[in-house]
Amino acid sequence: MIKVKDLHKSFGDLEVLKGIDEEITKGEVVVVIGPSGSGKSTFLRCLNLLEDITAGEVFINGAQINSPQANINEIRQNTGMVFQHFNLFPHKNVLDNITLAPVKVKGVKEKKAEEIAYDLLKKVGLKDKAMAYPSQLSGGQKQRIAIARALAMQPEVMLFDEPTSALDPEMVGEVLAVMKELAHEGMTMVVVTHEMGFAREVGDRVLFMDAGVIVEADNPENIFSNPQEERTKSFLAKIL
Amino acid sequence: MLVDKIEILQQAFPHLMRGAAVTVRITTFAVMIGIVIGTILGLARVSKSKILQGVSKTYIEFFRGTPLLIQLFLLHFGLPNIGIDLGNYLAAILGLGLNSGAYVGEIVRSGIISIDKGQMEAARSLGMSYYEAMRYVILPQAIKRVVPPLGNEFIALLKDSSLVSIIAVQDLTRQGRLIISRNYESFLIFSAVAVIYFVMTFMMTRLVNWAERRLSVSD
Ligand SMILES: Nc1ncnc2c1ncn2[C@@H]1O[C@H](COP(=O)(O)OP(=O)(O)OP(=O)(O)O)[C@@H](O)[C@H]1O
Ligand SMILES: [Mg+2]
Repeated sequence: MIKVKDLHKSFGDLEVLKGIDEEITKGEVVVVIGPSGSGKSTFLRCLNLLEDITAGEVFINGAQINSPQANINEIRQNTGMVFQHFNLFPHKNVLDNITLAPVKVKGVKEKKAEEIAYDLLKKVGLKDKAMAYPSQLSGGQKQRIAIARALAMQPEVMLFDEPTSALDPEMVGEVLAVMKELAHEGMTMVVVTHEMGFAREVGDRVLFMDAGVIVEADNPENIFSNPQEERTKSFLAKIL
Repeated sequence: MLVDKIEILQQAFPHLMRGAAVTVRITTFAVMIGIVIGTILGLARVSKSKILQGVSKTYIEFFRGTPLLIQLFLLHFGLPNIGIDLGNYLAAILGLGLNSGAYVGEIVRSGIISIDKGQMEAARSLGMSYYEAMRYVILPQAIKRVVPPLGNEFIALLKDSSLVSIIAVQDLTRQGRLIISRNYESFLIFSAVAVIYFVMTFMMTRLVNWAERRLSVSD
């Protein structure tokens, strides 16, 4: 489903990704962990071209996304993204946040888009908030709306960049619960997170990144209980 | 004595009001030109095209870096000299409008860049084009932030419009001066002129405050 070949990314002289090879199959939940500044966000953002790729190739469903012929806007419709700081549209209510892109980008009829939105609101447990504005919601609620907004485009892949890092501890659970449900429904997910419980329970595979490379990739059991690389061991020792 | 003064004012009043109407009309047209040009300049400034950025920046720097009076002279006296005669009203409106466009351009630019960049990223990640993201996500938020500085800009423009009296436009200032040239009551008439300008800017301030309140209902 996603194939990454020798991906490099530099910001000016700073090389942040130094050759990443990775293949993610349909329905897989891949959790990306690693120290701050290791390039996790950059890697994720290259997958929907929020960063332009310096060198290498990224394929989604067999089509290369970083080629001049590729239609960026179409590719992004297919890869939903959830951000650490939610990035809801503050001038629109919850319903409009969710229906905006389906209506304007995909040309879905307003009424149909609202039906989809209400279904998604039910799914994330916030049906009663349809008319609320983002400023009236808690962090956990905002993030659940952000997930619903991304899902409204009916993407095949969902990218999560530390979706719970900006939340008060008591709200982390409600967001992880929604993500867990999504995983069980078979959504392909790439999740950057510090929630090791989530990685262990929901992840099919864990990638440990450090200094712009994937140091080790394995199933959660092996990564957490039996890491092979020295750098993985010392990182896990610090956080577990 | 007092009766005399009141009578002078009564005689002057219709002329001053006619001048005030010209001031309002010229300022209104200039504001419209300023908004159109300023929006284009602001969008060009934040675009990815180096050429558009350069053109916009040069325009803004030129109009902000030279006196409005000289810009008016260029349009009114300079252009006829090379065969283009706009007439004094058009020169006045265009001069004020082109000048205001530069300031509005800066305001629009800072309004757009004040919106968190996560907003653009969220919109783009949903598949919106740059244009759609601007139109549905960035500009509606930026407009709220630019209303107060735009209001100030247009109040300043109304006051600066008194300069057009120098290129023979019959605005409030010029009407006042014409009256004074007949009756020599410069203190009285200029005071009246000042009061009328003040009433106009005062009403504009109210209007801007009202617009600001209207726009902020959603947050
Ligand atoms: N737009 C940018 N311009 C310049 N440098 C950048 C930019 N974005 C990221 N970097 C740098 O790239 C490196 C990797 O950043 P990245 O955000 O991918 O790390 P991360 O693993 O997500 O870290 P964190 O856990 O703190 O989120 C860092 O050194 C960062 O300073
Ligand atoms: Mg990050």
